[in-house]
Amino acid sequence: MNWAYFWSLFSISLHAMVPITITAVGEVVGESAGLFNIGLEGILLLSAFTGTLGARAGGPLLGLLAGLATGLGIGLIFGLICAYWKGSQMIAGVGINLFALGFVAFGLQVLGSPGFYTVPRAVQLPPIRTAVGAFSPLIPVALVLPFLVHLVLNHTRLGLKIKAVGENPEAADVAGVPVELTQLFSTAAGAALAGLAGAYMSVSWLGSVTKEISAGRGFIALATVVFSGLRPLLALVGGLLFGFFESLATWIQSLPGIKEAVPWQFISMIPYIATLLVVAGVIGRARFPKSLGVPYRRE
Amino acid sequence: MWAWGYNPWPAYAALFKESFGSGYGLASALANATPLILTALTFAIGARAGLFIIGAEGMMYMGAMAAVALSFFRLPSGLHALLALAFAAFAGIVWGLVPALLRILRGVHEVISTIMFNWISHFLAFYLVANVLVDPVRAEKTISVARTSRLPLLLRGTDLSLGIVVASAMAFFLYVYLWHTVSGYEIRAAGANPHAARYGGVSPKKTVLLVFLLGGTAAGLAGAVEVMGRPPTYAVYSGLTNIAGFGFDGIGVAMIGRIHPLGIIPAAVFYGGLQAGARLMQMEAGVPFEMVRAVQGVIVLALALPELIRIFRVFVRTLFPKRRLA
Amino acid sequence: MARGLTPGPFSQNVANFLIRAEGITKVYPDGTVALSGVNLEVRPGEVLGLLGENGAGKTTLTKILSGLLPPTSGRLLTPKGPVRFHSPKDALGLGIGMVHQHFALVDTFTALENVALGLPKLSRTLLRKRLEKLVEETGLKVPLDVPVEKLAVGERQRVEILKVLAREVELLILDEPTSVLTPVETAELFKFLRRLKEQGKAVIFITHKLKEAMAVTDRIVVLRRGKVAGEVETGKTTAGELAKLMVGTEVELKGRPVELSLELETKAASGPQREEPALVVEDLCVQGDTGELAVRNLSFELFPGEILGIAGVEGNGQTELVEAICGLRPIVSGKVLLFGREVSGLSPTELYRLGLAHIPEDRWKYGLILSFTVAENAILGMQRERRFHFLGFVRTKAVRGHAGKLVREFGIQTSGISAPVKSLSGGNQQKLIAGRELTKDPRVIVAAQPTRGLDIGAAQFIRDLLLRLREEGRAILLVSADLDEVLALSDRVAFMYEGEFTGIARPGELSPEAVGLLMGGMKGV
Repeated sequence: MNWAYFWSLFSISLHAMVPITITAVGEVVGESAGLFNIGLEGILLLSAFTGTLGARAGGPLLGLLAGLATGLGIGLIFGLICAYWKGSQMIAGVGINLFALGFVAFGLQVLGSPGFYTVPRAVQLPPIRTAVGAFSPLIPVALVLPFLVHLVLNHTRLGLKIKAVGENPEAADVAGVPVELTQLFSTAAGAALAGLAGAYMSVSWLGSVTKEISAGRGFIALATVVFSGLRPLLALVGGLLFGFFESLATWIQSLPGIKEAVPWQFISMIPYIATLLVVAGVIGRARFPKSLGVPYRRE
Repeated sequence: MWAWGYNPWPAYAALFKESFGSGYGLASALANATPLILTALTFAIGARAGLFIIGAEGMMYMGAMAAVALSFFRLPSGLHALLALAFAAFAGIVWGLVPALLRILRGVHEVISTIMFNWISHFLAFYLVANVLVDPVRAEKTISVARTSRLPLLLRGTDLSLGIVVASAMAFFLYVYLWHTVSGYEIRAAGANPHAARYGGVSPKKTVLLVFLLGGTAAGLAGAVEVMGRPPTYAVYSGLTNIAGFGFDGIGVAMIGRIHPLGIIPAAVFYGGLQAGARLMQMEAGVPFEMVRAVQGVIVLALALPELIRIFRVFVRTLFPKRRLA
Repeated sequence: MARGLTPGPFSQNVANFLIRAEGITKVYPDGTVALSGVNLEVRPGEVLGLLGENGAGKTTLTKILSGLLPPTSGRLLTPKGPVRFHSPKDALGLGIGMVHQHFALVDTFTALENVALGLPKLSRTLLRKRLEKLVEETGLKVPLDVPVEKLAVGERQRVEILKVLAREVELLILDEPTSVLTPVETAELFKFLRRLKEQGKAVIFITHKLKEAMAVTDRIVVLRRGKVAGEVETGKTTAGELAKLMVGTEVELKGRPVELSLELETKAASGPQREEPALVVEDLCVQGDTGELAVRNLSFELFPGEILGIAGVEGNGQTELVEAICGLRPIVSGKVLLFGREVSGLSPTELYRLGLAHIPEDRWKYGLILSFTVAENAILGMQRERRFHFLGFVRTKAVRGHAGKLVREFGIQTSGISAPVKSLSGGNQQKLIAGRELTKDPRVIVAAQPTRGLDIGAAQFIRDLLLRLREEGRAILLVSADLDEVLALSDRVAFMYEGEFTGIARPGELSPEAVGLLMGGMKGV
């Protein structure tokens, strides 16, 4: 074992943490306003794909932007359906996931090779090169974002409004807070962040897009949100934990003797089992907004 | 579709013509519908109890594995198939057991637990297909299901097997169960109003277990009928390519069928037809058939709108006068 | 949106009214006509009472006035011209604020944060100063930095009022404010309202209690079934006249005059049979939702053939007590005994088999499954009885027969037993629940807020039913926030305050002052 080895594992942890943390923090905002978006997985998938398209068209930044815009667009549709038209959040979320599954597979076929597509190196987001290794510029973003969101939610008027809308929309309405608009804004912001995370995966981190690039990360992000009890800083901890598990899987595989004894399929299961254990151990502590998932109707 | 420069109308025309216009098309639609009915039932019965079970995909893989595994044994035909179905159902149930317990004991939301188990099942199935059940002659697939364990074809030259009967039977069974038994009444009550249900003596823990049991059975069977009823190979390909996706499609089908067992059957046939026609669409109009799933997603999204739901409900009610308990 | 009222005791605009409602009609999407052609005028410097029984339309009217609901037709007029409210914000801009019956407070926020929610432009420090000044001026003392969910109900109402006052209103609407106050707190509130009047502000005081309306208002408008039944000056009317306006003259039900909340005849009790107690509660401790003890070391006995009433302002642990007795909430410590047998912690089904029936206070949460049919609801809790199933299958005929019997015997108005139960009115729903519970032939009945939200006919029916059950020798525990109802129906009354009983006595032996004190928490009076 040498230092370079450890650093590479550390790097994997950080890189894997990014999509989880960003998505989770975004969903914290959305859920604080009372909307439960199960379609995060679909958003990740879609924006990974559109991010690639954007990068192909105009470079890595455009790619990231395309991903963000995808997330934002879906978030707005979701918010419209659920906040304004009081549609079922579960159904809409599942619809998003299904649509993404089909659309991305379809799009990949169109792009040429069914199943996956490698983002040309030229348009990948260039990493920051430091003495110890190369890190994606989105890593610091992912580290800072939770603090920003924490500040906004807990120390600004906007945050007060968001939380009020999620906890007791009637009280917020009576106080003059535009309930549906706040919900739309919150969920769209959260979805946009998920979009950014998705684009990150294809344009900055993995450098390719597959039908399954999201690999359940949207749901792991949801689990992280539960774990965090809607506290953005804890969402960061959750993201780091998951990143750690993913790198752990890689590390175990490289231990001498393991590779032969334990098939890779079982190693791949580790992050999912770990997520389950974490969630199972933590449930019951959290306090969720009373009106989470319930559309607001003026009686 | 316009975005990609395809002309949508001939594509849709081909889609529908092929799916429903010909006998072969209809048979294909039904064959495709078979696993969808079952995975949709898994989601539907969960939804009726207020649970969001999206683990059909993972349970289905295990069911398929179980069905294939039973082909290592020699048994008289007929019995072999029955046992394979039973073993697959059992596998589905076992796979749902942990999420059920997690929900009961630790309050873990089934969305998260079943998704995680889907992925665990995914990798486990990969392993089994590549190492334990692999065909010694052709490594890209598992051993074929033994002749004695296959489901007989209903129509020569098509993919349509007895599986459709199994699936429909399960749907009817669940319909009768939910609306005509005491236990079913309790499940529906728990889903409609958990507080009142508790007040009425319904045990939420037993409900969760029961629902996962029934759902696991359906999903396990889905995996089984797919391998036991699909000529010519009757096996699972490495990468799970020929069985992947049915679990998630089932969720969409369940929603289109308004989570009612009798509504699920036509919804599955509709979707199965779309899938069948999609292949033709690919040939005639060049549109990759995965688009079908995207279309389905849009339909489901639209269904999230309460207005549409009301219209749809009226529509369905004219087709199926829903009999309530009394 | 007209902004035309200058704040201050004497308005420069010589307008003799603040706002006028003309021809207001409100029809809900499901077809219910809540209001029909209502005209109302609100004048500054007066307390206007809005009187009517449950369902008359008082809350709907004020929700329209405060901008929460749009009228279906009709208009609102200010001195500066007609006005349309699109949200409560618009009404607040005009100086109209409403204090709701069920407080519009965010539980996890502190009082300060709740007020801040509606005043985005003020900085925290300025807001704090303004609030502190208000607290001093109005005498409504309340801690500003404690999460509202930890405050007592009376304190929460003060936060709600402060919240509205902080926005400098000219018209303050109070919806049944005294339903959560002890008599002492009510007197304080009335003093405060008079002070507002002196400042030239207007108050709309909604109530269904005649005594209060007479005590604090200058003018009273009576609503009945969505229409204005009459408008009188308080000084020139009597309670009897008001009562007649409230209920109309076609008032004979079952050949007996309708009993009103002013004077309920106290039924002469035949006296409970002093044998073995039917229900014994010993040293009971139950935890509330916020983690604190809602019921503290409570003990009492209930005998067959008596009605034991539990009076008290809502929020003092009654709900938790009932839930614990009926198997819907875990017991922290102490015992519950049913006919000598310990039943603490048993499930509702087991309790029902032992002879306990429960008419729940929240009928939509515990009593009914709204999406099910009448028939399906009729057997809720009894679905496992031999007569309703055979080899696991439901005996449809038996269920239908049972449901039909209930509908007939209890006079439930419905389009059929296959109708979804949500299509029934509140009164009919309650009758269904009561009927269902009683067919279980219970020996002990726990009735929690059984007449809440019901129209007078249905409420009377339920009260008569309880009396009849008492005559049959059953034991009844009646929990009600309606003090008059409890005093009229019970043989013995216990007063609950913050999880304990302040006293148990026979209603006839209590003076109004004693009642007030007991409700307010003074023990041993």
